[in-house]
Amino acid sequence: MEYSNPKIPEGINTSEESPLKEFFILTSGLVLVVVLVVSLVVYLVDIFADRIPFEWEKNIPVNMLLDDKANDDQPLYLQNVSKRIVNTMSLPDGMDITVHYINDDTVNAFATLGGHIVLFRGLLEKLKYEDELAMIISHEVAHIENRHPIHSASQALIVGLILSAITSSEDIVSGLVGSSSMLTMMSFSREYEYESDAKAVKTLISLYGHAEGARGLFNIFKRESEQSQPVEFLNTHPLTTNRILKAESIASQLRDNNTTDNVHHGMTPLPKEFINWLQYEASSDK
Amino acid sequence: MIDLIIFVTLLAVGYGFGQYAEKQHYASIRKRELYLRSIPVIASRIPPHGNPNYDSQLVSGSVVISVDYFKRFIAGLRNLVGGRVTSYEALLDRARREAILRVKREAKNLGAEMVFNIKLETASIHKGKGNTIGSVEVLAYGTALIPNSQ
Repeated sequence: MEYSNPKIPEGINTSEESPLKEFFILTSGLVLVVVLVVSLVVYLVDIFADRIPFEWEKNIPVNMLLDDKANDDQPLYLQNVSKRIVNTMSLPDGMDITVHYINDDTVNAFATLGGHIVLFRGLLEKLKYEDELAMIISHEVAHIENRHPIHSASQALIVGLILSAITSSEDIVSGLVGSSSMLTMMSFSREYEYESDAKAVKTLISLYGHAEGARGLFNIFKRESEQSQPVEFLNTHPLTTNRILKAESIASQLRDNNTTDNVHHGMTPLPKEFINWLQYEASSDK
Repeated sequence: MIDLIIFVTLLAVGYGFGQYAEKQHYASIRKRELYLRSIPVIASRIPPHGNPNYDSQLVSGSVVISVDYFKRFIAGLRNLVGGRVTSYEALLDRARREAILRVKREAKNLGAEMVFNIKLETASIHKGKGNTIGSVEVLAYGTALIPNSQ
């Protein structure tokens, strides 16, 4: 037997194919599957969420979470504005709206399960006109009227359950699966924002005859977000410019008289007492 | 958002450094394989020429290579769909060849002519965290035949 010592050729145990190609094929395939599955699940969950009676929602103890910070001792003015909006929007029977106020610098407002709306002092301080306040409240009431909180909560619960069943947190791909499903769900939540904006603009027009409050509020958001340029794809809320465009097109459809481009046209300023009260609250928070 | 940035950064770092290290390593492996070609390594359990004028000695070489984030991610995706885990194939190929090169180097230092009865063993090092960190160890050992000076 002759022994020979040939040079072993390369590429027997390895692949010449670029790992980037494999990466892109596998990643895009996985993202596509997750987006499709999450969309389907959200679609199915929405059908069930629509059938959950609002009465059940009231029994979910979300207000317990709010109670420690929420101060429901609000000025009469705020209560009256909320009341007027709720009456204008003619909600279904049994759908009660509770407006909470939190003395905190956060520039935010949200609607949650059981018809609770939370307004933060930080956001109220930015306002100059009642129209803008009405835009915020009617936007949040519209969320509740369209049952968005129960939809979002059910989607998050079911999608979360499914994801936790198929991936473990140690799994390296769970991050990709998690983010792509989150981004898919965010696109649904952006739809909710547009839907609520549309309803809020309608409410503003029936209350004040014009929707300048929407424009005023969005301009405030625009100024707030000017420091950083957010990407719509990564946000639960749509970009303010897109919201302005959509709200304007709705307003122009509904507007019977053409208003001028003057931004503050016909807006009702906030009463002095309310601004004073906010200043008092701000000083008492420190 | 911040998660996504971290994830993409880790992938990019893993890919950049991992591919660079792999390229460098392969270049070094090819160079040293050429240099040590004069010492054959064979799998036979019996010394080929049965010549008594040889001393024999155990030689071994062990190497541990870590998986980079990018390779691990691709392998994680492969776990879902199946198929050749090419990212790990290259890693293990490097580890085996490096381990044999270390055997050969030791043999050369001993003045050996060849190494017979070569064995390879593989262990994965992950301390119970199978999917978070991972390194592979390849141990090669064999018997070096050193010409007897008498």
